Amino acid sequence: MDRWQYLIVLAACLLITAPLELFGGGVYRQPWRTVRAVLPVALVFLAWDAVAIAAGVWTYNPRYISGVTVGFGIPLEELLFFIVIPLCGLLTYNAVTAMLNRRP
Amino acid sequence: MIGYTLPAGVAVLAVVVLELAVWRTGLFRRPAYWLSMLIVIGFQIPVDGFLTKLGAPIVIYDGQQTSGIRFPLDIPVEDFLFGFALVTAVLLVWERQRARR
Repeated sequence: MDRWQYLIVLAACLLITAPLELFGGGVYRQPWRTVRAVLPVALVFLAWDAVAIAAGVWTYNPRYISGVTVGFGIPLEELLFFIVIPLCGLLTYNAVTAMLNRRP
Repeated sequence: MIGYTLPAGVAVLAVVVLELAVWRTGLFRRPAYWLSMLIVIGFQIPVDGFLTKLGAPIVIYDGQQTSGIRFPLDIPVEDFLFGFALVTAVLLVWERQRARR
């Protein structure tokens, strides 16, 4: 079970933030806008990640990751991190915006 | 500190300059943005804390490349700069698309 730890954390993040989609215009309901916001930033951060891994700035405990890599030594979990965390941020911002606009 | 503290600071500076000097989406003037960032940081603590806990770390940092300050829990403070830059950059591009429409 230990090797799924990082993936489980990411899944939990998606699960906890999912209900926020119900507010306002949503994030998942604007898939193209979401892709265009998440993808370019993810690419920049993945490049940073690859350099940091290559330089040994940070490493991943093989015990807690799946072992699948996506190139440049980047674990699958890291690729997903740069999609999941931005989605959580967008969902939060979407919901907070909707709540602040809904003034009595 | 060259390997993480420096690029993390540069990343924050880059998104701030991008907004204030180039894109000017008005994101930093929106209370919803600052409230969202507070919530995001609030959730970053348990999630990042779990990833970086020194007892059984998922992510391991080279102590030479960080400031060495780990707070709260065992989170390297640089992670908060990293997270701020990541989420802010995505929100900026998100807002930019609304401004364009």
